[in-house]
Amino acid sequence: MNLILFTFIVLLGFTSYYFGRKKAYTIQSSNKRLTALPQFYGYYLAIWCAIPAFIIFSLWAIFEPTIVKLLVLSDYSNQGYLDDELNLIYEKTKSLSRGQFTGEITPFIESSAEKYLSLRSIAQSSKAVIVLSIIIASVAYAYKRISSNSRTREPVEKFLNAVLFTASLAAILTTVGIVFSLIFQTIDFFKVIPLFDFVFGTHWYPAKAFVRDSSEALDPSMYSDTFGAVPIFAGTFFIAFIAMCVAIPIGLMSGIYLAEYASSKVRQYAKPLIEILAGIPTVVYGFFAALTVGPFLKELGTSMGLEVSAESALAAGGVMGIMIIPFISSLSDDVITSVPQSLRDGSYAMGATKSETIKRVIFPAALPGIVGSILLGVSRAIGETMIVVMASGLAANLTLNPLESTSTITAQIVVILIGDQAFGDPKTQAAFALGMSLFLVTLCLNIVALRVVKKYREKYE
Amino acid sequence: MIKIKAKNVDVFYGKKQALYNIGLDIEENQVTALIGPSGCGKSTFLRCLNRMNDVIDICSVKGEILINDFNINDKSCDVVRLREKIGMVFQKPNPFPKTVYENISYGPTIHGMAQSKQEMDEIVETSLKKAALWEEVKDRLHEPGTGLSGGQQQRLCIARAISVRPEVILMDEPCSALDPIATAQIEELIDELKKEHTIIIVTHSMAQAARVSQNTGFFHLGHLIEHGSTDKIFKNPDNTKTQDYITGRFG
Repeated sequence: MNLILFTFIVLLGFTSYYFGRKKAYTIQSSNKRLTALPQFYGYYLAIWCAIPAFIIFSLWAIFEPTIVKLLVLSDYSNQGYLDDELNLIYEKTKSLSRGQFTGEITPFIESSAEKYLSLRSIAQSSKAVIVLSIIIASVAYAYKRISSNSRTREPVEKFLNAVLFTASLAAILTTVGIVFSLIFQTIDFFKVIPLFDFVFGTHWYPAKAFVRDSSEALDPSMYSDTFGAVPIFAGTFFIAFIAMCVAIPIGLMSGIYLAEYASSKVRQYAKPLIEILAGIPTVVYGFFAALTVGPFLKELGTSMGLEVSAESALAAGGVMGIMIIPFISSLSDDVITSVPQSLRDGSYAMGATKSETIKRVIFPAALPGIVGSILLGVSRAIGETMIVVMASGLAANLTLNPLESTSTITAQIVVILIGDQAFGDPKTQAAFALGMSLFLVTLCLNIVALRVVKKYREKYE
Repeated sequence: MIKIKAKNVDVFYGKKQALYNIGLDIEENQVTALIGPSGCGKSTFLRCLNRMNDVIDICSVKGEILINDFNINDKSCDVVRLREKIGMVFQKPNPFPKTVYENISYGPTIHGMAQSKQEMDEIVETSLKKAALWEEVKDRLHEPGTGLSGGQQQRLCIARAISVRPEVILMDEPCSALDPIATAQIEELIDELKKEHTIIIVTHSMAQAARVSQNTGFFHLGHLIEHGSTDKIFKNPDNTKTQDYITGRFG
């Protein structure tokens, strides 16, 4: 029903566009100058069709369920039912009307289900009638108003402005919503676990929180030595550090090669090939690290007499570094390419060689942009989840030995939120606290990176 | 004295020929102006003289260019040494995004010309003085060179070029991005510099060519139509095309 109505409105929109344009042509053919191109008259009418439809649809979606519920339940008023019971009756009514009710059917519920269905169909048809009549009225009104000197361009432009603004508002509101959902859970978590224990505690063992019998009262003291985040923060930065040790030199050097040395033909093939790395799903990197690199390192280490865990920070960090190479190489390639050719010419004309020019002129000029690309790479490394979960283990060891397994913030969030969880439990809320701190770290990194990149852009204006 | 002798120079950008059989002699310690309409190949010819065309992948140069009787298109020519001897100033001022001091010390550093800090200070000071910029920047040597005005930046680029004591300075429309006052300063400077350097200047302004040069070459569609003393070219050219260009009938 809604779909048919919607299709009908869309058709009406196209029709009103057509008529608006046609009227404009008519005005034009009577040798009068239009104030805008004929299309604008069409858009103008189509907007007059779309806006009322949208408003009525949203109002209906907001109020219809409430009103229908009130009307259905009015039969039960003054019979001493509690609110909860009334809600239950209403749910039963709805599922019966859909034919999905399996319990015992009482005549009461049967009659209200019938009432519910008839109310719904009345609501649907009245909605269709109201929407269509209002649309036709508003389009007719707007159609009459169109004349040779009416303004249509400005309202259309304003409407587009509003639509685009709404789209960006939706994106911003989503971000704000995510942050708030994190904040409230995080605050709840810190009501039970002192902030100090979380930031400076060195034991992370959230499984302990599961042992608690749910009938016991919540006793904060039993969580001491459970949620100390130091090992996983250390693990996060350590693995990110290993990743950057791989990604920065290789990424930077391949970026310099692509930008300065590669002939256009090599560049044409090499750049997309490197960028393929960026398109590989992280899960694939994850099992590459867990099933290929990890065992290989273990064997290599064993043959040299070292003790290497099959799930080592080195394997996870190294593969993560490979994943980040394309970001750094492609961004620094762009940054280096955008250093003006005149600077290269100036340096070559002084008798500098290619490597001198790169080292002394191009690299310093491109440095802010390169730093920006590295920081973006770092925030990726910190936020990466899959590789760590699969290749570096889940035990939060506090270690700086790259051959042992460690865990990261993201991996711990996965561990905590997989399987059955009780909301309101500190163990679940710990995930939000971790998410919040991760968010803060990457936010800071991104802000710094964007600042740096922006400063670089201003330099050659 | 002849400093540079170009013989049968052809230049190609890919398959397109940009210069045809150019032969031109350049006198030592004089200013030679290259004039002609846009796209006539005068800048391309200038860039042949310090092999800057090497930087462009698709560009190939044929023929002989003798500087001090040595063919710079020969395989044995060391481009780094060549560019030390032949400096260049570009159309748009292109100081490095470094300090004024570092802009000047760049060349002497890469050619290992100074053994100590004092020697380098001296080179920087004399270069800036020769470029008539010392008085304006002596208190801001360690500020970015990109912060100077357009005319100052161009004189900084000239100072950078003369810091390695080149024998020849190539100038590719050095005043086209400058206002009349800065242009006048640069022209005065060119006159001063020709005492120690041989100067070749590409210019769009006929008035400038007449003011600063002793010799002039007129390029048209990749051919060197006519060359000779500036006086003769401007007052009594042999070729009607030259006559038409100079009197402003085309170009």
